[in-house]
Amino acid sequence: MTNTALSIRDVRAAVGSTDILKGVDLEVPFGEFHAIMGPNGSGKSTLCHVLTGKRDYQVEGSAELGGVELLDKPVSDRARLGLMQAFQYPVEVAGVGLQEFLEEIADEQAIPENELEARLEAAAAEFDMQPFLDRAVNVDLSGGEKKRSEIFQMAVLAPKVAVLDEIDSGLDIDAVREVAEAVEAMRSPEMAVVMITHYSRILRYLTPDRIHVMMDGRIVESGGPELADELEDGGYEALRQRLGIEPSAGAPREKAASEYFTDTPFDI
Amino acid sequence: MQSRPSLPLRSETSDRLSAEVPDLMATSRRRGLDLFEKLDMPSSAEEVWRYVDLPFQLGDLELAPSPDGGLDDADDVAEALGATAGHATIVDGTVTDLQIQSSGADFVSLREAAAGYDGPGMDLLGTGVAPDLDVFSAAHHAFSHDGVFLRVPANCSLERPFYVDVQATAEGTVSFPHVTLLIEANAEASVVVGFRSPAGRFLVVNPQIEAFVGDGARLRLSTVQRFGYQTQSITHERVLIGRDANARLGEVGLGGRLGRMHIVLDVAGRGASTDLVGLFFGEQEQTLDYRLFMNHLGSNSSSDVFLKGAVEDEARSVFTGLVKIEKDLSKVSAFETNRNLVLSEGASAHSVPNLEILSDDVICGHGSTVGPLEEEPLYYLMSRGLSEARAARLLVHGFFEEVISRLPHPDLAGTVREAVNRKFVEAQREGRV
Repeated sequence: MTNTALSIRDVRAAVGSTDILKGVDLEVPFGEFHAIMGPNGSGKSTLCHVLTGKRDYQVEGSAELGGVELLDKPVSDRARLGLMQAFQYPVEVAGVGLQEFLEEIADEQAIPENELEARLEAAAAEFDMQPFLDRAVNVDLSGGEKKRSEIFQMAVLAPKVAVLDEIDSGLDIDAVREVAEAVEAMRSPEMAVVMITHYSRILRYLTPDRIHVMMDGRIVESGGPELADELEDGGYEALRQRLGIEPSAGAPREKAASEYFTDTPFDI
Repeated sequence: MQSRPSLPLRSETSDRLSAEVPDLMATSRRRGLDLFEKLDMPSSAEEVWRYVDLPFQLGDLELAPSPDGGLDDADDVAEALGATAGHATIVDGTVTDLQIQSSGADFVSLREAAAGYDGPGMDLLGTGVAPDLDVFSAAHHAFSHDGVFLRVPANCSLERPFYVDVQATAEGTVSFPHVTLLIEANAEASVVVGFRSPAGRFLVVNPQIEAFVGDGARLRLSTVQRFGYQTQSITHERVLIGRDANARLGEVGLGGRLGRMHIVLDVAGRGASTDLVGLFFGEQEQTLDYRLFMNHLGSNSSSDVFLKGAVEDEARSVFTGLVKIEKDLSKVSAFETNRNLVLSEGASAHSVPNLEILSDDVICGHGSTVGPLEEEPLYYLMSRGLSEARAARLLVHGFFEEVISRLPHPDLAGTVREAVNRKFVEAQREGRV
C-alpha cells in the first residue's frame, strides 16, 4: 500500500502540432500540499485539464490516483476515483441550482441522502454558501464567490486529490486570504492538494510542503517553501538564469493579454 | 345533441353548421367559405410556410363527426391546475362538457350561445383571426361550429384559471375548435388551453384562439400542446391588448407531427404590454413551427418574447418573429429572444427574429441562437463526477428552467418540466441523442 496520492510520470500533451507538456513528473503523497508555480504559458493549466480529462489535448504518459491510472478514463470516472479540479474559470451552468447539482452527483455516486445533507449543511455554514444553494451554479457570481463555491463543492465532495487551478486569480487581497484559509482548513491525511498559482501572494497564508516550478512544459525545479521566497525576490527570470534555461521562443500562451488585468500584478 | 356524421368540407356543410352557431358569425362564415374555395394549400415556397411540409390536402378531409366521448387518459394539465374557475372540454370541435365554478363571468359554449345567450361581446366572435391569413384560417371560419366564449366583465378579478381541454380523436378528420376570450376593462383573468390527441392516429386540428383584453385589463393565457405523434395541428392565436392592459402568454409545444402556432399580438393601446414565454421540444420527425407577429400600435407599449426550444433526431423547429413598431409612436420597448438546442445531427432549428421599426423613440432588441449543448458546462459537470448522459440531462433541464420559471401559470411548471425531461431521457434511451 503506497502513500502516494497522485503520481504523474512523463506526461506529455499537445494541441495539434504544438507541444504544451513535454514530460511532467510529479509525486504527491496523501496529506501533503504542493504548489506548482510558473510563468504564463508554462503549461500549468494544461496539466490541470489533462488530469481532469478535457478533450482538447493529445496526451501521453501516466497519471495515477491511489495507484489507479486516470488518463485512460472518461472525465466522470476520474472524478469518481477522487479527483477534483477547482476551476480557474468556474463555468456558469444556467438553470441548474448548486444544491440540485450536488444532489445529482450524490445520487450518481450513491452517497446517502442524509450523509450529503450533513456535508452540505456543514460546508454551507463554513463557507457562508447558504444563500447560493438555490441559485444557478456560478451564474451572476463575482470572481470571489465563484472561487468560494469551488472550495465549498470540494468540502462537500471530499476528493482524494484536489487540483486547484489559480484559485487565487481574480481575487482581491481579502478574498485571497479567505480562500487560502479555507484550503488550509481542509488539509487532511486523506487528501492531497496540488495548487497551481501564478503569484506567491497566496503562499503568505498557506504553507505548501513542496513547491514546483514549471517552465516550458516541464517541472524544472522543486523545493521547500524557500523556493517561493527566491521567486518573490528575483522572479522567474532569475530562476531561469540560475538553472541555465533558455527562454522558449514559441511558448504557447494560455491567457489572453486582457486577462493580466484581472489579476492584481503588484506581487511581482 | 343531434348526432352528425363526418361531412366533406363543402359549402353545404358550412350552411348546415350555420344553424348551430350564433348568427353573428354568419358574415365571417360566408367570407371564410369564399376564401376557402379560392385559396390553395400553402407551399413551403412561401416564406411564412418555409420548412413546413403538409402531407395532406385540407379538401380531402372530412369534418369530424359528433364525438361519442373524449379521451380517457389522465389529464396532467388539469391535475396541475387544481381548482378552476371554469372547465370546458372540446372534442373534435364540439363542446362536450362545460362547467363554471365562479360567478361573475360568462362562460358558454358557442352552441349554447346560439340558443340564446344575450350578453355582450358576441359581435367579437370570429373577428380576431383574419380569415384571409391562409386556407386554414379560412376553413376555420367556414366550418368551425362550436367552441367556448368567456367574458369576464369590467372590474371583475378571477384568480383561478379557466381551463379548456381541447381534444381531437376522430382519425382522418379535421376539427375546428374555437376559443373566444373577452376580458373587459380592468378585469383580470387566467386561461389555460390544453391540446391533446391519441398518439397513433392521423388527424388534423385547426383551432383558433382570439382574446380581447380591454383597457386596464390583465390576462394570463397559456397553451399547452401535447398532441399525439401523428396529429397535424395548425393553430391561430390573436390577442388584442388595450390601453394600459397586460397580457402574459405562455406557449408550450411538445406534441404533434406538425405543431404550428401562428400568433398575432396587437399591443394596441397606449401603455399596453405583453410578454410571451414559451418552450418547445421536438422529437423524431416532428416539426414545431412558430410564426409570431408582434404589432406595436400604441405609445408607451412594451413587449418581451422569450422562446426556447430543443430538437432531437430528425425534428425541425421554426421560429420567425416579426416585431413591427408603427409610425409616430414614442417610448416603445420590444425585445425578442429565441434560443435553440440542436441535440442530434439530423435535427434542425431555424430562427429568424426580425424588427420593422417605423418610429424613432424605441428600445428594441432581438437575439437568436442555435447550437448543440455547450462543451464547457458539460465538461464542468462531468468533472464533478456526473456521467456524460446525466450531465447532458442536467444541462437540458437547466436550459428550459429559465423559461419554465417564467411561465405565466406557475402551477404548470412541474408538469411541463417533467414532460421535457421525460422527452430527453427517452431520446437518450433510444440512442437518438
